[in-house]
Amino acid sequence: MKLLARYNRVNLITTIVIMLVTGFAYYQAISSVLTRQKDKDLEDEEMEISEYVALNHSLPQTFETKHQQITFSEAKPNSIKRKFVDTVYFKKWDKHNPKRNKYHATGEYEPGLGLISSVTVAGKYYKVQIIQSKVETEDLLQVIFYITIGVIILLLVILFATNRLILNRLWKPFYGLMQELKVFNIADPATIPKINTSIDEFKDLNAVVTDMTAKAKTDYLALKTFTENASHELLTPIAVINSKLDTLIQTDNFSEWQSKLLSDLYSGVSRLNRLNQSLLLLVKIENRILQDQQLINLRELVEDIIAQFEEIFHDKELKLTYKLDEKAIYANRYLIEILLSNLITNAIRHNYVGGEIVINLTGGNFTIQNTGENAPLPGEKIFTRFHKSSGSEGSGLGLTISRQICENFNLVLNYRYSAPYHNFIITFPVQA
Amino acid sequence: MKILIIEDEKGLRESIEEYFTEAGNICEIASDYDTALTKINLYRYDCILLDITLPGGNGINILKSLKDNGHSDGVLIISAKNSLDDRLEGLDLGADDYLVKPFHLSELKSRVTAIIRRKSYNGSNVLIFNEISIDLLAKEVKVRKRNVKLTPKEYALLLYFIANKGKVVSKNAIAEHLWGDGVDITDDFNFIYSHIKNIRKKLMEAGSKDYIQAAYGMGYKFTEQ
Repeated sequence: MKLLARYNRVNLITTIVIMLVTGFAYYQAISSVLTRQKDKDLEDEEMEISEYVALNHSLPQTFETKHQQITFSEAKPNSIKRKFVDTVYFKKWDKHNPKRNKYHATGEYEPGLGLISSVTVAGKYYKVQIIQSKVETEDLLQVIFYITIGVIILLLVILFATNRLILNRLWKPFYGLMQELKVFNIADPATIPKINTSIDEFKDLNAVVTDMTAKAKTDYLALKTFTENASHELLTPIAVINSKLDTLIQTDNFSEWQSKLLSDLYSGVSRLNRLNQSLLLLVKIENRILQDQQLINLRELVEDIIAQFEEIFHDKELKLTYKLDEKAIYANRYLIEILLSNLITNAIRHNYVGGEIVINLTGGNFTIQNTGENAPLPGEKIFTRFHKSSGSEGSGLGLTISRQICENFNLVLNYRYSAPYHNFIITFPVQA
Repeated sequence: MKILIIEDEKGLRESIEEYFTEAGNICEIASDYDTALTKINLYRYDCILLDITLPGGNGINILKSLKDNGHSDGVLIISAKNSLDDRLEGLDLGADDYLVKPFHLSELKSRVTAIIRRKSYNGSNVLIFNEISIDLLAKEVKVRKRNVKLTPKEYALLLYFIANKGKVVSKNAIAEHLWGDGVDITDDFNFIYSHIKNIRKKLMEAGSKDYIQAAYGMGYKFTEQ
């Protein structure tokens, strides 16, 4: 959930709840004040009647005002208990009121508030009923209700809009920084730029991110330099061992056992050397040192490499089928050669005698399929450094190097297993 | 031939010296920049093996000095740096070849032989070894005037053997010479055996003697005996 959405949700819910509570309280307060006012009016009326009766010893003339009706009726003595009641008020329409014709009635009922009381006139006991219309009170309350709702809605709209506007603007530096971090590449010398903001938190964040990435870059560079230096330093001792071995085999009379030892030494040194070369190459590719690009005819290059490995295909009795369309890409020739020969080498190495290799080159991709172990390889893991299948004599860097090369030239290298073939697919970038 | 080995690493220098020293060859050594500079100014060599990183200076400057003085000695750079720029700079400055450490002595020998052969070009590009004659331009092999049809790899292997005649050449060195970096496909070099077998068969069918001997299962030796 986005921060803005989350913030809006919390904000809106609180606002609505508070507005409803205040609206309700407001309603209650006004309603009770108005009711009390009405009650007081009724009591005043009652008092006027009592005074009239005390003075004139007769019932006052009943007359109707717009909002008040008074009725007297005889009742059993002392049967009436004084009380306020919610009742209805019959409002008569005047003669010109069009409703009279429309509804064929003389009036309508409205909610009313009444006071039932009693009065004794000349020994006779009367029930007094004073009713006032409550319709104005209700109207007032209704207006209050509508205003409250109106304010709530208006507030919501305004809050929503301003939040959106302000938050979007406020968080802009944050999103900018996020974008920078997304495209951050540890091997790229470009640093995270300083963002333009007056907000302290974002300034701090920017500073922290800049420091952190700078440190990551320095560490990475130090590590890379170390790898490069270490590999370089290894070259000379390997060269010495190699030359000493070459010299040693010139001396005569080796027993079979000694020859075997020497052969093993040769393979060991040879592997050590290849591993070291691979490490150096990897550093170079990551440093993007080999960047000079040219148009490479892939079909010709693949054919060349296949020819190069011809004897080895033959030796392992591999059945090779290939279909190559014309395809050219801009890349570093040396690296693409390494990439293709790595993939072909793998297809040979992890194959069995009498196995099969299928190579396809189309405008969209290059695919190499080979038979081998009857189980898929562990997906992405095979592209990590020093991941090796058991018994592999390789350096464990071949696929790492291959993928790195692909990344350098916007190619995508993927692995897929579709029995009985292991597929390695290089997808070319879609030409704009 | 006269060869100058400019290399500061004692172990490597001695191995090279030993490998190259044989009847008809004179090897001189220089282990630092100043010695090397003195020697190239005093004497002429058929081929100079030049290490780039030297105590006291950069080997590239030795190459420059050589070319500035108009000397035409063959130069083979041996460097630990496998960078394209270095290679190009070296070759641009007039080096004849560039070999990256570590290397097999047999590979070094074959490259040096090729350089010297090019330097002493005297109108004929035919390499003769007893009854075998090789036209280096046409890449044709003849045994007593009879054509021997070799594949490109067999041809390269034959040249390699002749450059290293009398030496045991390891299977690893052969594999790396013929297949380069792609050689780590398999660790047993059976495919080399079949190659050697084919060359021997083809040469002997054309009337040549059998010069290639297996050496204790580690490699092969091209020898007159």
